Amino acid sequence: MVPEEIIKKIWPKVRTKHLFPELPIPKVSEGRENVALEMKDKQITINTAFYDKISHKMGVEEVVEALLDHGISHYTYCPWDFHTHLRLFREAKRVVQDKEQAKRAAGLFMDVVADTHCVKEKKTPLPELYKHIDKGKVDAVISSLYQKIWGLDLCAKEDEEVVRRLSRIPYLDKKQWDKSIQKFARVIKTLLEVEEEEDRQEGNQTNPMGEHGLDGYTLEEIDQGLRNFANQNVGLKEFKETFEDFKDELKDVGYGMEGGMGRGEGTPLDADLIYYMKLAESYSIPIKKVPMEKRGFLNPHSHCPWEIGRPFQDVDVWTSFGKIMPGITQTWNKIEGSTFGERESVPDCIIIIDSSGSMTNPRKNLSYAVLGAACASDAYLRNDAKVAAYNFSDAPMGGKAILNFTAERVKIYGVLCKYFGGGTALNLNELDPLLDAAKEPDIFIITDMKITNLGKVIGYFQNINNRITAVYIGENTYALRFREAMEKKKNMSFYNVTKKEDIPKIVLGKIKEYFRGNL
Amino acid sequence: MQNPFDDFRNHRTREREIPLDSIIQSRDRVMSQITKGYEKLLEEEVKELVWLVQYNTVIKAYTLAEKVVKEFEYKAEDIEEFCYELDSTDKIPYLITGPAGIYISALCNYAQEGEITLKLNDLKTQINLLGYRLPVGKKVAVEGNLGDFTGIGMEGGELVVEGNAKNYTGAGMKSGKVRISKNIGLHTGEWMMGGEIFVGGRVRGLGKIVDGKVYEDDKVIYPRNYRQSNAYY
Repeated sequence: MVPEEIIKKIWPKVRTKHLFPELPIPKVSEGRENVALEMKDKQITINTAFYDKISHKMGVEEVVEALLDHGISHYTYCPWDFHTHLRLFREAKRVVQDKEQAKRAAGLFMDVVADTHCVKEKKTPLPELYKHIDKGKVDAVISSLYQKIWGLDLCAKEDEEVVRRLSRIPYLDKKQWDKSIQKFARVIKTLLEVEEEEDRQEGNQTNPMGEHGLDGYTLEEIDQGLRNFANQNVGLKEFKETFEDFKDELKDVGYGMEGGMGRGEGTPLDADLIYYMKLAESYSIPIKKVPMEKRGFLNPHSHCPWEIGRPFQDVDVWTSFGKIMPGITQTWNKIEGSTFGERESVPDCIIIIDSSGSMTNPRKNLSYAVLGAACASDAYLRNDAKVAAYNFSDAPMGGKAILNFTAERVKIYGVLCKYFGGGTALNLNELDPLLDAAKEPDIFIITDMKITNLGKVIGYFQNINNRITAVYIGENTYALRFREAMEKKKNMSFYNVTKKEDIPKIVLGKIKEYFRGNL
Repeated sequence: MQNPFDDFRNHRTREREIPLDSIIQSRDRVMSQITKGYEKLLEEEVKELVWLVQYNTVIKAYTLAEKVVKEFEYKAEDIEEFCYELDSTDKIPYLITGPAGIYISALCNYAQEGEITLKLNDLKTQINLLGYRLPVGKKVAVEGNLGDFTGIGMEGGELVVEGNAKNYTGAGMKSGKVRISKNIGLHTGEWMMGGEIFVGGRVRGLGKIVDGKVYEDDKVIYPRNYRQSNAYY
């Protein structure tokens, strides 16, 4: 058993060495003897079975210190965050092509970087641990690599050519990690293939220093990592591919699962949807608030005689001479303050999105329309408003998806990401129930304006006073016609999107000289 | 009030020099020399604007490349790394496959190692002219596909390609062995004076061969009278 006292004794020393990482005191558990430690939600757990196995080969305190050094170096240096983890995985996969091999390659690379950083910068018994640890073929090669690049005798003698190639990689140069992991994966590719084959025959072998799953990250870190990854000029295809590779693990850690009790298999994670969601989160589109209603305190305005049955709290004790008696007692008449009651807030919004054949399929390429609509819905939801979605292609022929007002992001994105790819026509009658379902909702329409019943659409929008934000993708004569026809409407604003960077310029509901009564 | 940094007062960073540092320094130095040498070669060759594989141009480029690579020491891994550096065009502005192939061939021919393995499977571009003048006693094994003029003018070495090669493979080779595990293109062995070409897959067409042997899947396809030059079969 690992006595808790050893951890308690070692922990302050290790924390100081690593400049006080924000990690809770490690725990011990009876785990598998071939895995040294695990990290879940920042909690390092040392497996006693592994400890028992190795403790007769080296000092007990040294074992614990080395394991903690390894775990903490991952936390403080490599991968540091989930975004880096995804990046390294993606680069490794570019070389090895296989998902599992890429995960293994990324894991090994992170081990080499974290351990080398630790050995170079801290006083650590890690080399001693690597000397005594049981290793598979690949781990033995990594130990030989350590021997070469750390300049210490780890009693390792493996594949000299592979080790020579691996030792030329600048592991501690963060800027070169993307390139470095490609080189690393290229060199160990054959070894990984052999290992995979052996695993199939002899049962699964695991990394003795622990696997690099998603358990170590909190849901917020995963969310942030995906957001950064989506924003790092990664195309939809690549994001989708990487996301799919981690889909099961993301599900296992509970990412994307709505909280609450109940039964049912849950909503599957949709990579396209997550991509637009994460991109949209990075663009903050401002919304102009509007005065919604007069709200405020009731102020005493005038006196009236008190009658039996009227509330006592309105009695004016000063003019009633302290008596509660009909005819003598006076009560206050209260009216709503007209100057203090006006509050601005964000109305609900109907998002109308064109998914006809002339628009980009959001599941194949980055669709500015979907991204714009996603950003808009995100902006409204963040302001506690609700969003309804109307996705149309040839709506009269059934090419449409309608969602009533809701605050559920996943449902909204689900409708926005739908692609019909047919003709383009709006069924305007279907907008009426949505307009009636909320109090003067804003309208956000995003389309290329190549709508077959554009005349009717113009007529419809001319007759409503809701704030309308019209975003058109690309320039064309239809957009020009729409713009010319609607230009005089003060409740309407237009934006043109030709590139991703245009999206943040949209100000939802920004209307020139917008006064509700003057329309 | 307690100083919040008191805990760090006794902390001393311990940064020790590890062999990795010197390995990386040396690698960077060599790569910089190789790259400069290539740029020097390009400066000369770019003057001619269009690079054509002509007898004179190849000899001229190789003579210059030979002169450059003799000036520094490098290892087989440096050659492979240089191939990938060439592939990432942001670092070396222009990858002209002709001079690049000649330069890489010169690097191989003057490397200290007798046997060189180049893992080029992940290269986006295919290198032409690799194996030019490969001398006796040298073996170059390439993992990945190569371009045109693979193994031209070989002088007794062995070139093994785990992949495909394009047209004019083994053109003008004097002696040695070219082994291609997959397929090769047209004009195979054009003006070949000697040596052997072994092809694991298909040969799309033979060139005008003077002397030497060409094998397709272990069967001799040259010399054999019934096979015409560049016959498609």
